[in-house]
Amino acid sequence: MHAPSPPAFPQIWRNPTLKIVVCMKETPSTEVPKSLGADMRLVRNPSDTIINPFDEYTIEEGLRQQEKLGGDVIILTMGPGTTNDPMRRALAMGATSGVLVSDPALAGSDAVATGRVLAAALKKLEADLVLFGQSSADAYGGIVPSITAEFMGMPLLSYATKVEVAGNNVTIEREAEVGYTTATAPLPALVSVAKAINNNPRYPSMKGIMTAKKKPIETWTLADLGLDAAQVGAGAAKERVTGATPVSTQRRREIYNGSAGAAQRIFEFLVENKII
Amino acid sequence: MTNDIWAVADIEGGKLKSISLQLASKAAQLAAALGGQSAAVALGKGAQEAAAALGATGVNAVLVSDDAVYDAYLAQPATDVLAQLIQQRQPKAVLLPATVTGRDVAGRLAARLGLGVEYNVTAADVADGEIAMVVPAFGGQLNVNATFAGDGTRLIVARQNAFAITKTGSGATTETIPAPAAPANGAKVSGPFGTEGATEEGHMTTVNGHPQYVPPPSRSNVEEAAIIVSGGRGVGGPEGFADLDALAKALGGAVGSSRPVTDDEWLPHHHHIGQTGRTVKPELYIACGISGAVQHQAGMQTSKYIIAINKDKDAPIFTFCDLGVVGDLKVVIPELTKLVEDYKASH
Ligand SMILES: Cc1cc2nc3c(=O)[nH]c(=O)nc-3n(C[C@H](O)[C@H](O)[C@H](O)COP(=O)(O)OP(=O)(O)OC[C@H]3O[C@@H](n4cnc5c(N)ncnc54)[C@H](O)[C@@H]3O)c2cc1C
Ligand SMILES: Nc1ncnc2c1ncn2[C@@H]1O[C@H](COP(=O)(O)O)[C@@H](O)[C@H]1O
Repeated sequence: MHAPSPPAFPQIWRNPTLKIVVCMKETPSTEVPKSLGADMRLVRNPSDTIINPFDEYTIEEGLRQQEKLGGDVIILTMGPGTTNDPMRRALAMGATSGVLVSDPALAGSDAVATGRVLAAALKKLEADLVLFGQSSADAYGGIVPSITAEFMGMPLLSYATKVEVAGNNVTIEREAEVGYTTATAPLPALVSVAKAINNNPRYPSMKGIMTAKKKPIETWTLADLGLDAAQVGAGAAKERVTGATPVSTQRRREIYNGSAGAAQRIFEFLVENKII
Repeated sequence: MTNDIWAVADIEGGKLKSISLQLASKAAQLAAALGGQSAAVALGKGAQEAAAALGATGVNAVLVSDDAVYDAYLAQPATDVLAQLIQQRQPKAVLLPATVTGRDVAGRLAARLGLGVEYNVTAADVADGEIAMVVPAFGGQLNVNATFAGDGTRLIVARQNAFAITKTGSGATTETIPAPAAPANGAKVSGPFGTEGATEEGHMTTVNGHPQYVPPPSRSNVEEAAIIVSGGRGVGGPEGFADLDALAKALGGAVGSSRPVTDDEWLPHHHHIGQTGRTVKPELYIACGISGAVQHQAGMQTSKYIIAINKDKDAPIFTFCDLGVVGDLKVVIPELTKLVEDYKASH
């Protein structure tokens, strides 16, 4: 039995005014141990801020789409922007320009507030194609893309392992349990890119690093987006953190010697710990 | 707001996923503790058939719709119907699966209705009339305790295997709910494609002139799997992975590997776990013939339980496992597979 072939993509369309916006989060490096402060927020060290590793695939995908379709790649990030290093690195990879949304009132924003702010900025940018990563490496939420899509009243093609723009539509492939499915939506649309796209994010070249220094980065505040401080930040969040405990990496380290009877011991372990 | 708790089922390709039963069981338990009613919501192809299994978890009601619109578009129709039901009936909380679709629906509901949403939840219980949750943070280094403030239905996106399945077998009522119209600018779905070569069993093939063992798709997604049977160079070659795959099948898990295994094409590349491969966090990781190099450890160290089987008593893997067997995997694995199969057949 043969499944039908996927649809063929029509002729590629180049549009010099196409606006591809990549939403990039600045995350703390995963190499450094983390702790919460008395305010129950992550203790941040500005010098260990990196591009959310999942967003590197997204930036790469944005640049590849631009190479095919034309237009600009704009990096949009909401955050403290303490160092701007991640933004400069994204520009050094080849993005056209950056927008940083930063405002003291944004501190403590939850995913809903983040989506609200990104949606307002994306509307202001008049984005045609918006790309997200599959999740942030600090919260593993994977939820900001759908929140943003809802605030924009737009379709979201999530978890893409392939992205194709043709005519006024964007089509993605997504891995299914068996094979893959495709999903198509009219532009403007949002796409979240799965790590499994495996598109080898490029390293900034020496020339890229030099030109990035002169590329424009705009900073927008809540007022620039017409948002009210009461809609964002810690005050608007409906979730509360009440405490935290470090997870012990200590393990039981029970050792069973020899092959004979070992399977029985493992089996008992599975039953004892309710794994089967 | 009522004290009712709902669970949203996850159905893929007409098949009810186990996480649906876990969420329904938890919904029944939380509602009982709060003195409210519980319900499971099943949408799309297979929803009618899923109603009985969902009802057996002890929920009071199952809300179903197998309208084609749910499978024709991503997330939007499910959001439309759930938003309407939540506004009409005001449940205290809705549990959703931490799957791609579950997250997409939860995010849209939170934005549309202005609700709080907690994601990656691994535990949820009632404390002082409120729902208290545990959420792992910072790559599993911390467990954060979280709750909700203010009014409004709480959205709780829970991880696979966070909750146990209960089977009370009580008779739930089934209610058919209406379907929304197709969204005007919806993301329209087609497929599945590429299923031609997909067999339900693993098989040997040749890649770049090397023999390779290909586990079936249902045991290939290490990132989603709750149990991973992982093999290293000690498995001896691609053929050896048939034994590991048989154990993965018996346990309902996936097959993983160390890097040399995929470098040498013994398995396809997406099985590779570690610093340069996939990061996994299953309930159980069984490392077979893996020495436990730091680069491998980086990709699997937050697994809940780690079991190691290795011939060498000095292998580093024994310093970070819960149960270690100093023995021959070629003997232990087939015996273990048999024990698990027999146990599952009688339970
Ligand atoms: C930059 C870099 C990145 C890397 N990234 C990764 C990564 O992402 N993932 C990764 O896995 N590795 C990675 N590596 C490689 C890593 O350093 C190790 O070389 C690799 O993990 C070893 O794989 P192994 O445990 O399968 O093989 P080995 O180290 O050769 O271990 C095989 C083990 O099998 C045991 N054994 C043999 N026969 C049997 C038997 N019959 N029964 C039981 N036990 C048996 C042996 O005692 C031995 O301990 C990376 C290396 C570098 C330098
Ligand atoms: N503060 C932010 N600024 C820009 N993009 C973000 C921000 N937070 C999340 N995103 C985007 O949303 C994706 C998913 O993030 P999350 O939902 O936090 O896991 C990320 O990969 C980014 O593309």
